Order: sequence, then C-alpha cells, then structure tokens
Amino acid sequence: MEEIIWNLLSFIIFPGLLFVCIYSLFLEWLDRKVYARVQNRVGPLITGSKGILQPFADFIKLLSKEDIKPECADRWGFLFSPLTALTVAMMTVFFVPIVGYQGLISLPVDLLIVVFISTLFNILVILAGYFSVSRFSTIGAVRAGLQFVAYEIPFVLSIICAGVLAKSLSIAEIVYAQNNIYHMPFVVYLFPAFIIYLVSSLAKLERVPFDIPEAETELAAGWQVEYSGRKLALFKLAADIKALFVSGLGAALFLGGPIGPAIAGLEPLCYLFWFIVKTLFIVALIGFFRGLFARFRIDQAVNLFWKTVLPASLIVFIYTSVLIYFIL
Amino acid sequence: MSNDIPEDEILIPLGPQHPALKEPINFMIRAEGEIVVDAQPRIGYVHRGIERLAMERTYLKTAYLVERVCGICSAAHQGTYCMTVEELLDMEIPPRGEYIRTLVWELERLHSHSLWLGVAGHEIGFDTLFMYTWRDRELVMDILEMLSGNRVNYGMNKIGGVRYDVTDEMKNKILKAMDLLEKRFKDYKKKLSEEPTVLGRLVNVGILKKSTAIKLSAVGPTLRASGVKADIRKDDPYGIYDEIPFEVISYDSCDLAARVFVRIDEFFESIKMIRWILNNLPDGPVYKRAPIRIPQGEAICRNEAPRGELMYYIKSDGKSNHPERVKIRTPTLANILSIGEMLKGSYLADVPIIVAGIDPCISCMDRVMVVHEDTGKAEIWTDEKFRDYSRKWYKKNLKWVVEERWKK
Repeated sequence: MEEIIWNLLSFIIFPGLLFVCIYSLFLEWLDRKVYARVQNRVGPLITGSKGILQPFADFIKLLSKEDIKPECADRWGFLFSPLTALTVAMMTVFFVPIVGYQGLISLPVDLLIVVFISTLFNILVILAGYFSVSRFSTIGAVRAGLQFVAYEIPFVLSIICAGVLAKSLSIAEIVYAQNNIYHMPFVVYLFPAFIIYLVSSLAKLERVPFDIPEAETELAAGWQVEYSGRKLALFKLAADIKALFVSGLGAALFLGGPIGPAIAGLEPLCYLFWFIVKTLFIVALIGFFRGLFARFRIDQAVNLFWKTVLPASLIVFIYTSVLIYFIL
Repeated sequence: MSNDIPEDEILIPLGPQHPALKEPINFMIRAEGEIVVDAQPRIGYVHRGIERLAMERTYLKTAYLVERVCGICSAAHQGTYCMTVEELLDMEIPPRGEYIRTLVWELERLHSHSLWLGVAGHEIGFDTLFMYTWRDRELVMDILEMLSGNRVNYGMNKIGGVRYDVTDEMKNKILKAMDLLEKRFKDYKKKLSEEPTVLGRLVNVGILKKSTAIKLSAVGPTLRASGVKADIRKDDPYGIYDEIPFEVISYDSCDLAARVFVRIDEFFESIKMIRWILNNLPDGPVYKRAPIRIPQGEAICRNEAPRGELMYYIKSDGKSNHPERVKIRTPTLANILSIGEMLKGSYLADVPIIVAGIDPCISCMDRVMVVHEDTGKAEIWTDEKFRDYSRKWYKKNLKWVVEERWKK
C-alpha cells in the first residue's frame, strides 16, 4: 500500500506532473531571456524576480481567456488535439531520467518507445492544423508535415548512435554505460551526432531558423492560428514540455544524464542538480541559436535536411559502428 | 478578382489585417500549393482626406498638415510642400536654411532606411537584425529630437526656411553619432553578405527586371535595385544637391538582396552627405519672412524621399490664403504595381518580404477618386458628397445589408 502511494506521489508531484510543468515553464523563461540577451534586449523583467514568473503569468492569463471555436472546425478533433498533445508530451518526459539512472517509466527498449511517442506529437500537430479548417492552419499543417518527414530521420539516427555505442536501447543502460563503462559522456565520442541532434531538435521544437510551420509574418501562427484560450494554453505548455523532453533526452544520451559527483546520502538531490545544469545548458544553446539565423523557406529547410543533414547523420552512424567494432 | 479559380489553386486573402502588414492593404493571392500564381493589390483602406483638408487651411497650417501624411518621411513631405510654395512665390531661402533643410532630409533617410532594414529582417524571421537596427535608429531619432524637439513629426520647415538653427555643440554630437552609425552599419553589411540563411531568403527572390521596372514606373530604391541609376537628387537637382558630392547607388541583380544593399549603401552616402553639410555650413539667417498672400499660379516640385520620388502639385487662385488644390503623389503608389509583378511565381513564404521590399507606406498612398463607369469621368468627392452618398446607399440597401449580416 505504502509503495502504491509513494509511486502515485512520484507521478503526480516529483519528478512527475507538477515538477515537469513548473520546470518546463522555467525553461521557457530561460530561453526567452537568452534570446533577448542575444538581441540586446532585457527580456521578461516585471513578474517575479527578473521576470521569472512571466511564463506562469502568461499561462494563467491564457487559461482565463475566451475560448473560440471556428464554426466549421471538426468539433471533437478540435477539442481533443490540445489535450492529447499535452498528454503525449507529458508521456515522453516520464521516460527521461531526472533523479537517477532511469526515468519514472523504464522499459528494456524504451529508447524506441520514446521516439515513437515523440513522433506522435508531430502527427497531432498536423491533425490540429487540419481539424481547425482555416487556410492559414492548413498551410501550416502541410509545412509541419513536410518538415517532420525531413528532420525525423536525422533525429532518430543521432539518437540511435548513442544506443549503438552503449550496445543497448534502454535509456537507463545508456546513462549507465556513460558513467560506469566509458567513464566519459558520449558527446566526446559522438560530437557530430550531438550537433545533428541539436539541429534536428531545433526543427522539432519549431524554433528559428525552422519555425516554418508557425511563421509569424507569413501565416499568423500557422497550425495553431485558430486555437485560443485554454486550448492554446495547453498547446503552449505542451511545447514547453517538449523542450524539456528534448533537452532532458539530449542530456541523458550525450551528456551523461543526471549522474555526476554527488554527496553521499543526498544522491537524488545532487542528481537533480546535475540534471538541471545539463538541461539548462542545452536550452541556453538552443536559445542562442535562435538569435543567430533568419528563417528558412520550407523548400530550403527540406533541402538542407535531405541533402546535408541526412547524409551526415548516416556517415556519423557508420563512424559509430566502426568505432564500436574496431576501436573500443 | 473573380472567385472562380481552378480546383488545384487556393485563394488566400493577405490583409487588410495580417501580421505581415503594418498597415491595411489587401492582396488577393492565388496560390498553387506554395507557389503564387497571381496577386492583385487592392488599396484604399486608410483614406484620410488630407488633400481635401489641405484645401481648407491656410498655407501656413497646411505645412503642418502634410507632415502627417507619413510618420516616417514627414520632413520630406513638409520640405517639398514648402519648396513648392516658395516656387509659387518665386523666392530664394537663405543658404543656411537650405543646408539645414537638406541635413534633416538626409537624417530622415538614415532613420527610414534603418527602420526598413529592421522590418525586412523581421519579415524573414531574423528578429535579431530588427532589434539591432532599431536600437541604432534611436541615435538618429535622438539627433532629430535635439534639432527640433520632436522625434517623429519634426515641424522643422516653414515657408521661407527652417525654424531651428544648428549650434556648434549639436554639430559635434551629430558627427560623433555618424561615426558610430557608420561603424555599426559596416558591420551589419558584412554580416548580411556572409550569412547563408539571410542570403538564401534574399538572393533571386522577387525579381523585377529593368524593363518591367521602367514600364511600371517604379521609383526610388526599388528602381535603383533594378539597375536604373535614377535619382531626383542627381537628375533634377533641387536645393543644394548640385553642390553636395554623392553617388547614386544602383545594383543590377534586380532581386531583394539588391534592394537591401542599395539601401545600406545609400545609408553610407547619406552619412557622407551629412558630414559634408555640417562641415560646409554657411553663416547667416536660417529663415526669411515670406509674404502671406500667394500669387496666382501652379507649381510642381519633386523630391527624392527615402522611399523614392515624391511629387507635390499646388494650385493657387491668388485671392484666398489657402491653396485651391494640393495633390500629393507618394512613392508607394508608384511602386505598388510592381509588387504584383514581383509576387508572380514566387513562394508563398516570400510574400511578406517581397511586399515589405518596396518599403510600402500604405496610409501615405490612399487617396479617393471616383471614376464614373459609364462616362469615364473622374471627380473628387467632398466629405459632404460622400456622406450623402452613403446615406442614400444605406437607405436603399439597408434591408439587404442586414440580411447579409444575419446570414453570416
């Protein structure tokens, strides 16, 4: 009985729902702050100390806003796509190790499962644009689909490289291998794979230069143009959680996961500290990239992924295989 | 434009409200997938009746009214208006006044071009450029505030000269700011010409060929980016432009990249001109009293505003103290036709940057003119006539309008 309550608490409070929501909103603040500093601005400043509560305030404000549904939109699809998107995003984070070697859910081949679930999110994005039956959102959804086909393969290949090096498809074992077998984070061996992972996660998170599906100046907000109020709030939260997932998975696969030097007896706390440090690093890197580029056109982005990033990731994959069979 | 289009094409209304447009204008874009097949501009959403108002005010008051035609090139409008009235009076203004007037025009060009560069950056999703150029634009705005007391509508010119003088202290401050601006924009030019994501969005986009540009009577930087060396300051010098050494910038790649670099290079030319003006500023008064009564006649003046050729036509009847007719032709009206041409065959994603590429100022452009379909006669409607017409129309069509609204 006690165990069930303990498990329930860990799912709902820490490191489950509540922690994930709060921490992902904090990551949004950091991203906005870094982006603003790159552009010589100050970023959020008023709400809370240094504007740290701004994402929370935005979220709560959106929740209280009027919820408008277009008349010809698909009723159930329009209602369920934000809910499902949030659920799916939350599901993916449960696989990310936060306070130990494994996440809340850990299975023998969870790397594949996590890739599968995170792919679902993008299909939901396409459906969300399709269900809202607006010209802008339809074009946004088409672009989201095109871009998705382009970046998903390099994304998965870069993840698999880490799996190959650890000779396992379980996230827990990959983290274990980095700390106990190689004694080195995989970014040292797989630096090109890490770069490919970052580039394709920029596209996955729809950030500049790959914010094509929601290109503000062309399509208003792309696939999410018809969503307002609570539904938009859920989508925004889901996007933030996705950023947490991408940075958490990147930390687990390439930066040694949440494991680091720890004080005896206080391991979970120290591991949480290392988790936060590593995810902050990745999010800051992504925020920094955002400030450096102009937006690609959809054909340019697709060209870039198919002609440059995909061959590069194949080469990195072959290099990893060679590394594992002949050298290590 | 009719709504019957082939099945594989969709009709996308761009505007009158759209995030890409800072001002209301409507483009009916027919797209096949991501490719634009045809685009029709529709203007007239922000008609403000300034020409009509000008006819009811004295010459002096109109100078401050025409300044409100455009918030960005306000000094160009006011200066051209004053120039036209001075032409009617056949008077020469003191040289120092002429120099300061030109100084404000060139400062305004700096501020307009840096504003445009930022907007262009924003349209291609490069917000960092937007933030940086708008930060530097503040330097120019501060100078203009120091000179005239205002940041936007400076109220610098009046008939017979300018209202404020430039002191030595101001001169030093301006020269210092010019050094900083030149350094920063050289840096931006270098970065822009090397950054692949930016060049990918600009090179070979929105092509306007030289012959088409001339045929559609494009003006200003849009025309010069199509390889035509046309500049009113050189072709038909007014004021002191025949004394100032400067070059007309033109690029012949005819695309958006050319439009960007023409403006950046003009920025440097303007900085050079400002330095020359400040170093050669003659002594004397800045203003000569002009007679209130304007003799009968009509006059046209042209000015190279930041966006292109600006034309003023004023007719005076010689009896009253307000103009009989003021006609303004802003550069955007001359350029709006070429947008339709540039859009054809481009990607949907390039529409915002192509529209922004001519530096459109929609509210400057809108004038009302009613053309009778059967007789082909054009006439200008007054406020009252317009009001009468709308009253009658609604009386006749009220039932239909209400029904339509209910249907929606």
